[in-house]
Amino acid sequence: MNTYSLIKPELLMLTKEQMFSLMPYFYMFVGALFTIILSVNKKLSPKWTVFLVSLATCLVGISTSVARLKIDTLTLFNGMMISDTYSHLFNIIFIVSAGLTILSSFRYLDKEGLQHPEYNVLILLAALGMMLMTSSMDLIVLFISLEIMSLSVYVLVGFRRADRRSNEAAMKYFILGSAASAVLLYGTALLYGATGKTQIHDIYTFIQTHPQSMSPVFVLGAWLVILGFLFKVASVPFHMWMPDVYEGAPAPITGFMTTGLKAAAFAAFLRVFVSLGYGSVLSETIQTHLHHILWVCAVLTMVVGNVVALTQTNLKRMLAYSSIAHTGYLLIGLLAGPKSDQGYSPMIVYLVSYAVMNLGAFGVLTLISTRDDGGLNLNDVSGLSRRHPWLAFSMAVFLFSMAGVPPTAGFLAKYLLFYSAVQANELPIVIIGVLCSAVSVYYYLRVLVYMYMKEPQGSPMKSGFSVWPSFVVAAMVFLTLQIGLIPGGILTVARKAMAAL
Amino acid sequence: MGWLNSHLLTAVIFLPFFWGLIGLLIPTSGKGGVGTLKIWTFLGGLITFVISCLLYTRFNALGDEFQLKEAATWIPALGVSYQLGMDGISLWLVILTTFLTPLVILGSFDAVKERVREYYFLLLVLETGMLGAFLALDVFLFYVFWEAMLIPMYFLIGIWGGKDRVYAAMKFFLYTVVGSLLMLVAIFYLAYQHKVQFGSFSTAIVDLYRLKIAGGDSYTSPQMWLFMAFALAFAIKVPLFPFHTWLPDAHVQAPTAGSVILAGVLLKLGGYGFIRFAFPLFPDAVMKIQHPFLVLGTIAIVYGAWVATVQPDIKKLVAYSSVSHMGYVMLGLFSLNTVGAMGSIYQMLNHGISTGALFLLVGVIYERRHTREISEFGGISKVMPLFAVAFLIITLSSVALPGTNGFVGEFLILLGAWKANPGLTAISATGVIFGAVYMLWMFQRVMFGPVKKEENKKLKDLNFREVAVLTPLVVASIVMGIVPNFFFSKMEPSVQKFLARAKATSPMETAVASVSTLQKGDR
Repeated sequence: MNTYSLIKPELLMLTKEQMFSLMPYFYMFVGALFTIILSVNKKLSPKWTVFLVSLATCLVGISTSVARLKIDTLTLFNGMMISDTYSHLFNIIFIVSAGLTILSSFRYLDKEGLQHPEYNVLILLAALGMMLMTSSMDLIVLFISLEIMSLSVYVLVGFRRADRRSNEAAMKYFILGSAASAVLLYGTALLYGATGKTQIHDIYTFIQTHPQSMSPVFVLGAWLVILGFLFKVASVPFHMWMPDVYEGAPAPITGFMTTGLKAAAFAAFLRVFVSLGYGSVLSETIQTHLHHILWVCAVLTMVVGNVVALTQTNLKRMLAYSSIAHTGYLLIGLLAGPKSDQGYSPMIVYLVSYAVMNLGAFGVLTLISTRDDGGLNLNDVSGLSRRHPWLAFSMAVFLFSMAGVPPTAGFLAKYLLFYSAVQANELPIVIIGVLCSAVSVYYYLRVLVYMYMKEPQGSPMKSGFSVWPSFVVAAMVFLTLQIGLIPGGILTVARKAMAAL
Repeated sequence: MGWLNSHLLTAVIFLPFFWGLIGLLIPTSGKGGVGTLKIWTFLGGLITFVISCLLYTRFNALGDEFQLKEAATWIPALGVSYQLGMDGISLWLVILTTFLTPLVILGSFDAVKERVREYYFLLLVLETGMLGAFLALDVFLFYVFWEAMLIPMYFLIGIWGGKDRVYAAMKFFLYTVVGSLLMLVAIFYLAYQHKVQFGSFSTAIVDLYRLKIAGGDSYTSPQMWLFMAFALAFAIKVPLFPFHTWLPDAHVQAPTAGSVILAGVLLKLGGYGFIRFAFPLFPDAVMKIQHPFLVLGTIAIVYGAWVATVQPDIKKLVAYSSVSHMGYVMLGLFSLNTVGAMGSIYQMLNHGISTGALFLLVGVIYERRHTREISEFGGISKVMPLFAVAFLIITLSSVALPGTNGFVGEFLILLGAWKANPGLTAISATGVIFGAVYMLWMFQRVMFGPVKKEENKKLKDLNFREVAVLTPLVVASIVMGIVPNFFFSKMEPSVQKFLARAKATSPMETAVASVSTLQKGDR
């Protein structure tokens, strides 16, 4: 009963500033609803109206978020949500990746005969879920937004209904994802049981005021929450869902997952971690304990991801394992954050760069894929440089970037990340990390070998030129090189976002 | 012109790149398109060479350590700046690069028929990468050029190479990446040390030179670890025994232009890295580990020569001779005295000229016969007299005959090494003999005797273009042998400064006099 009395109606009233900072979420929500209405209006050709309206929604969402990058931190809804540079920066990442996914899917859906308007609606809803997830300051809100995102993505993964692999992936993802959500929810429940709070800030205060009373219930709850997050970011040993899901999902959705979903999981992870006092008020024992867990997970993730990726012949699957490997690098950032000058900003830069290069790479895959996502094996890209020189060039840029070769975004991001880890005195893991990324060079370059150094095999596949995905790819090539050469802007924003956290 | 005057180094570095970008726009499908592209690319290389000659006139040997400096902020948050500068050592390496590139472009006019546009573009990108690495005065910038350079080279080997090109390209890339990633960790550490000691991040070399890193007489000091991280990257590039195994593969599989650039310039980057970074930054570690590295250098010299002797393939023979010659470079550098260091830098230039020329000569004969097996030839001097003359002069320069460039370099190196370690020098000196054995024996089998094979009887001698490619190299190898002082005078003060840094703990040598006397004796 005590809790109810705490909710004061006047606190739910929004001031003008609060309304202002809620607008991105509002627009995305309205846009999603509007597209649902449009998709049943058969008179207006839902294919085009939904496509255009969802793009417009994304544009509005991006511009409103950009306008809010510089405003001060605001708590909303009695402290259940927060609006700061950090959340709006990530909002931009999510909406951009949603918008670009919608763009590059347009022809793809035609080709696959899957032109259903629900596709775009679900992407918008998933993006909304991610946005809420990053800005939530309450474990319950976090869980709900996580579910909004996950449920939309489960459906999207199984969108190629006629394909067995897609169905299998959706099923697998649904079951394992639900289990992980359950674990997270159970952890939340235990934390609530131990502290009587669900708001992160209250839990933080609780830890501060009761440093000695770390009850087993609390520890177990914290453990389960961490496990839930480690599952969502696909850290080894909770990575097994990822390769199958990535392979089975439609190519553009895989791109969306590697960028949006991964960034969202990491953003929320980081938010909860830091807000709970990781690196500051938590006691020494817990800090070292967490450090060890993350250390082991990071090393395992890097090694397993990179080594298994060596043997993959399907590009989507290869990129799935590479995505696991990148999770490992990102965990180093999490590890090093509290002790380095840059804080967690290397992670943000890394997530942005990773999103850019992956959106581009999956844009290329979407363009070259044949019906039923075929034509994505290594053999199928043989001699791509002769058939589609520009696509091959773009793919080369993305692959060099993922391998961390200058002058690309991937290099700069890795530089920052490992640099901050050296500052945090984490030399062993940095050395493991760089050696792993030397391993990764092999499988990235192998794709180049097929594209550039082998003759085309079999009859050249017909994959029509389409303007939207090509635009996405070109923009991502530009951004990859731009972040690699002139990173000043992104560094400043990341730093600002970190300061807000 | 004002901008150009103050940004001469930037202009030299990026001219080839932008020139190549414009070259990409030349349509190659129409009649004469390919010809235009070739001439355009060649002109680009030539203009870059002319500008780099301007660098020679602008450089004052007795002036500051680094000249024609440029500095601009780049990523202030990381302490990274865009800093360029040149000393007497990088001056010559830059000129070597810009000298070889147009020749290589001219040399591949007939050899490359596929994907011509990409080929010439990549050659020019590669030139930009190499020049950038030689001129960068910021470790981050250096690293960017150093790694970015791998990309064009990887494609050059992998697309236009021989039968096992994919394997060779991959091996080349992976070897270099492993080495340089560990160097990157060391760079992080240095940049962070700058923050600890001076309060701000910096990756500028002149700032890093001021760092005090725990060293002393120990194999486990921080200096030693950092030195090893840098040395691994550079030793792979040089390549120093036992990290040389990528080299024969890469050389043999690469197209002629790739081999020439690889031998002529890329390997020099390894040596240059030692001079610019590893030695001055970690003097204590260098002192401590001097003799083990001298041993490795000696092994490289003798082993490279022995293995070269038994190669049935001319290109592979030249590749192993590179291992041997670069062993001299390491021997000279690690003798840590002026004579040795001067000789070693000179040897880098020589090796660029003579091995580059050898690869071009092998390319000439390969284009005609499509084989490089020594046993396929014999009596070539009768059918190709001009070719034989050029081959002879270059062979003699490679075996260090007095009067050619090779002699000056090897002599100075052995002289310097004698002061450091007489025993090893004696062993290394046998390399000179073995060098004569494998080169002359190969020359004899290819050039002399009766013309046995039917195909060899109708071989055409060098055409005008090939003469134009080889003449500058032949002339350079003789000029460098006769008037070495022309080169030494610009580099000597820089070498002194480099050694002063590298031996921060011990008093400076007074070997300058001996070098001057030597030069007089040569004439």
